[in-house]
Amino acid sequence: MAARKPTFNQQILIDPTPLPDSIPKVKEVGASSAPLLSAAFFIGARCKDYNDDYMQCKTVNPGKGEFECLKEGRRVTRCARSVIEDINKSCLEQFRAHWTCLENNNHQLWQCRPDEWKLNKCVFDNLKLEKVIPDQPKQSTPVHLRQKQIYAHSPVPAWEKPFIAEKSQSS
Amino acid sequence: MPQDMPPVGGYGAVQYKRNLPAHGLFRPRNLILASAGLMVYGWYQLVVGVREMNEMAREKMWARIHLIPMLQAECDRDLVRRHLADQAREKELLGENFKVYNSDRYVRPTFAAVPQHVTK
Repeated sequence: MAARKPTFNQQILIDPTPLPDSIPKVKEVGASSAPLLSAAFFIGARCKDYNDDYMQCKTVNPGKGEFECLKEGRRVTRCARSVIEDINKSCLEQFRAHWTCLENNNHQLWQCRPDEWKLNKCVFDNLKLEKVIPDQPKQSTPVHLRQKQIYAHSPVPAWEKPFIAEKSQSS
Repeated sequence: MPQDMPPVGGYGAVQYKRNLPAHGLFRPRNLILASAGLMVYGWYQLVVGVREMNEMAREKMWARIHLIPMLQAECDRDLVRRHLADQAREKELLGENFKVYNSDRYVRPTFAAVPQHVTK
């Protein structure tokens, strides 16, 4: 029997039954879209292996992945949660500035470069996570490191400088 | 009877050529060069803009790619929870679980049964 009666009365059609005890619990990420977009590349940097594991599990279990991949899914969620928590712990101010800017600018990343550079610097200094866009064409500046954002509403102020991590400078 | 005849020595030359001297800033060569320059500048700006847009699209796409496993995992957990609750409820009401689809794949629920008449 389900642990709790579903509240299927005629107005509320929500099934609040929790997962059975045989499946371990995990706390959900619980962030909305702007913070997630702001932290996406850091989540990708730290959780790449877990994400790949999960997606591979979904691929090799077509039609049953929802049940077979619960363990990998929990790992993915735990990892993403840890990233958000760490950013909140060490870079709350910059994080909040960036995702507020995204929220106010229709989630257009190019409108918020100065805030993004500050966040990237703080995250790199504290968490050693770096924003890298894969498959960058050779001999071109990554789009998030360009001083001139030609599609932005207002030009980037001259005193705001892109944050380039030392590691990528040397290589 | 005298007839009209050409004057002695023939008619004078008819001026059919225009006489517009090409001089100053707007001579044809300058106009063509200026249009070509404008065209090149415009195409250059367009190419720069399209490339920047491609790069930004790639950035957005990768941001999404990094997030998808997390979002999908959360969604899957919820689906599994509701599926198991459904199965338990079905077992409780009907005594056994009927196989609805002729397949072992998990099928996302499309329909939900809602009451026809809303009573108090």
